[in-house]
Amino acid sequence: MPTILPADSDSFDYDAALRACARGDQQALKSIYLQDSRRLLGVALRIVRQHHLAEDVLHDAFVNIWNKAASFDASRGAGRGWIYSVVRHQALNMVREREREVYADEETVEAIQNENGASVVDQFELNASLGKLHDCLSHLDSAKRNSILSAYVDGCSHSEIAQRLQAPLGSVKAWVKRGLAALRECMG
Amino acid sequence: MNESFDELQQLAGEYVLGTLSLAQRQEVTRRLPLEPVLRLAVEAWEQRLLPLTALVEEQQPSPQLWPRIVKDLRSGVVALPAGWRSWWSDLRFWRMLTAGGFAVATVFAVMFVIRPPAPASAPAFMVVLVEPQDRIPGWIVQASADRQITLTPLRPISVPEQNALQFWTKADGWAGPVSLGLVQPGKSLKLALDKLPPLQANQLFEITLEPSTGSLTGKPSGPVLYIGKAVKMT
Repeated sequence: MPTILPADSDSFDYDAALRACARGDQQALKSIYLQDSRRLLGVALRIVRQHHLAEDVLHDAFVNIWNKAASFDASRGAGRGWIYSVVRHQALNMVREREREVYADEETVEAIQNENGASVVDQFELNASLGKLHDCLSHLDSAKRNSILSAYVDGCSHSEIAQRLQAPLGSVKAWVKRGLAALRECMG
Repeated sequence: MNESFDELQQLAGEYVLGTLSLAQRQEVTRRLPLEPVLRLAVEAWEQRLLPLTALVEEQQPSPQLWPRIVKDLRSGVVALPAGWRSWWSDLRFWRMLTAGGFAVATVFAVMFVIRPPAPASAPAFMVVLVEPQDRIPGWIVQASADRQITLTPLRPISVPEQNALQFWTKADGWAGPVSLGLVQPGKSLKLALDKLPPLQANQLFEITLEPSTGSLTGKPSGPVLYIGKAVKMT
């Protein structure tokens, strides 16, 4: 599957860095941090909504990456994806554990929106660098597409998506389900 | 747990997407190490959706974050006693380890950072005890031909005060695991297995978390922390 990455991540060998981590090489972990910590923090912040929580997520994720590097099978060449998945799941666990008991305060939400300048849905329209995923998402109707983007990028639960899209919970659950099924068919 | 293929794909997709409840997430996390099909489905979804991370604005971490991470990294692997080199350079060991289904890369990784002292007599059996979920090696068991066994820690482990680590073994055909006694975290242990039948290939060894005086039932009663099977060395 062709994946368009930011130019500088093309040349960075994530799998080699993870293998070096598994051998106890802290410089290798640092090289991953220097390479991707800004984007990873961005990913975590969108999900947990508060900067200090996002930093906690990144802290725990990097400690996990270090501890689990040896168990990652680098031969499959998916090191970058694995690193992002560790961070995302760390962030998702945090928000599901809190289940929004700690809502992002108004100011934080506003700050994120101002910084980003656009909602996730608008950014999707502007961003053609997603390769095949972009094409497949484009084929979905907007309700399914927005449900999937709100969940993946902003860590929204079903009920939060329902609020966001002003739609019944049952519809949102069906959109997510059918949207995923259509994506899988489209992307293989 | 008996989903259709489509239901399994759906579960994997929602797990990666993040729309599962905490309880459902934890259930998937628990199943992942045990179910290769589910694991492959999750990995495929991670790859499919990964490009969406490019939609996110980058954020500058505070300067304190990296030092905080470094402070909490577990220190490297402790040195192993004699007897190491004799089998780590033995190709047959790796073949058997692969056949045993272990994550060879994992063990390889651990071995590379270890600089062994002079070899002693070759052990007759070897067991790498790994964490069941992450397959991270935690202990090595070496059994010599005269049925002396040595349990050696590979990394530190902390155990809650009211608990203890208990060491067990079970061969094919035994009714249940037999206790080999309590183990001190981070400490090597030498034992004679002269009360037991001779060691067999594939004999199971495990360390469980038990009450401080050991399992009250005489059988493993707590979670398995490390597990592995004996590999014949000669």
